[in-house]
Amino acid sequence: MRRSAAVIGIGHSDWVADWHRVRAGERPGDCYHYGAVAFRNALKDAGIKRDQIDGLIVGPTTAYERMAEVLHMDVRWGDQADAVLSVLQAVQAIETGAAEVVALVYGNDQRSAGTQYGGPQAMGGDLFLSYVYHAPWGMTSQGALYAMTFRAYAERYGISERDLGHVAVAQRQGSARNPNAIQRKEITLDDYMAARYITEPLRLFDYCLINDGGVALIIAEASIARKLAENPVWIEATGRFDLNRAATSLEPRLTDFYRPAQQHVAQEVFNRAGIGPKDIDVFQVYDSFSVHVPLALEGYGYCGVGEAGKFMSEQGIGLGGALPTNTSGGHLSETYMQGWAHQIECVRQLRGECGDRQVANARRVHYSSDVAGKAVSIIYGSD
Amino acid sequence: MQVDKTPPRIMGLYDAPMWQFLDDDRALRLQCCSDCGTWRYPPGPVCPECLSSASEWKPVSGGGTVISWVMFRKEYLPEYPAPYNVVAVRLDEGPIMISNLVEDPAENVIGRKVTLVVVDMADGVKLPRFKVVE
Ligand SMILES: [Zn+2]
Repeated sequence: MRRSAAVIGIGHSDWVADWHRVRAGERPGDCYHYGAVAFRNALKDAGIKRDQIDGLIVGPTTAYERMAEVLHMDVRWGDQADAVLSVLQAVQAIETGAAEVVALVYGNDQRSAGTQYGGPQAMGGDLFLSYVYHAPWGMTSQGALYAMTFRAYAERYGISERDLGHVAVAQRQGSARNPNAIQRKEITLDDYMAARYITEPLRLFDYCLINDGGVALIIAEASIARKLAENPVWIEATGRFDLNRAATSLEPRLTDFYRPAQQHVAQEVFNRAGIGPKDIDVFQVYDSFSVHVPLALEGYGYCGVGEAGKFMSEQGIGLGGALPTNTSGGHLSETYMQGWAHQIECVRQLRGECGDRQVANARRVHYSSDVAGKAVSIIYGSD
Repeated sequence: MQVDKTPPRIMGLYDAPMWQFLDDDRALRLQCCSDCGTWRYPPGPVCPECLSSASEWKPVSGGGTVISWVMFRKEYLPEYPAPYNVVAVRLDEGPIMISNLVEDPAENVIGRKVTLVVVDMADGVKLPRFKVVE
């Protein structure tokens, strides 16, 4: 797997402009529009033509067939997957020879279309029962699941709400220096603590944005990537482990905080890449809620079990900290592209395109996702 | 926490008996594997441990321990005006049940022992909730 494939192109929609348009009552486009805009930009970034692509993966928010129709693409291999699994599947398709150049396209009109992630019309309830099973008791929304997780975790290890605030504060450092971020204002720990609770113990700044947008990546087989790209970003290693036993009653979240899955994946990806946590320059974490970050820091061995609060406050996860994390601002402050925009930030950090938020000499970036029981990681590297 | 109605219950193929037993005799009964004795919640087609299809609906003791809890400060469901609490209770039989404490906690309740209370909702649903006993 090592260096069998590389990202050669990235693109996204202008979600900052669209944020303002949607808030003004406009509908800039549907999910296919956002995907198409991102794809157009990714082609330009890669400097290739559409007919050089022979594989297509679309995100879960668009129908595969319709997205291919809108993009006007006939391909010899295709699939539909979430952000992190799209990258894994693109690599697998390339390694098995099913495709050589794969486009990954995601578009989401969740803000303008009013998609609900909690309450009576909660999206995804048929897939993930925990979303809706507990509605008779008023338990709904992903945020509440993470609030429940954080309370149990904080109680077990003595981590405070103020400790958790370091996530939101650090990510605003990045988003304040990211022209593509929706929330550009830095906040302090006091601002964090003064914000209202949504589902206690989580506050406003622990929650992701909900906005429209699209992201596209182009991943190519190694020899093609070397030919086409000046600065290919290599997929060095990937790993996955799933925990679904007793998931509806939240067992994997509340008893072990997904840690066994992350530890399994840590061993897999670090072994495959031939490196350890100390060799990682930038950490990117799927952050629908801030809580993902301390749990991932511990699960992947960046600090000891129960020590994430101390690590964040003493070592630091902001720019200039020991482990700059979600340097774009992430879902909390840049854009909520369900993990897709994190891949772009991994690539930009490794290309050295991040301007004021650039982490000096970034060579290895780790992306971690733990959504609905799936712990998945990618290690990206540059030449 | 005052609610006029109960938000919709999932009523898949295996869900009705639990609610029917609550209606009939105000008892919380859960599936218990006839072959290995493992308790099952939420209801489902087979035993998670041994995959047996054979089960009996047996009454639980009603005892449990709070393993986490939250306070909703924002309204998501029209039936549940905020604030209100939601707890995760480890039943003495093993499974975790997501429910409510009949009184909002005034302090951290993780680790506290609780006991089952069957609450009559305004729409007639009998909802299993818990109260702190020690
Ligand atoms: Zn059994």
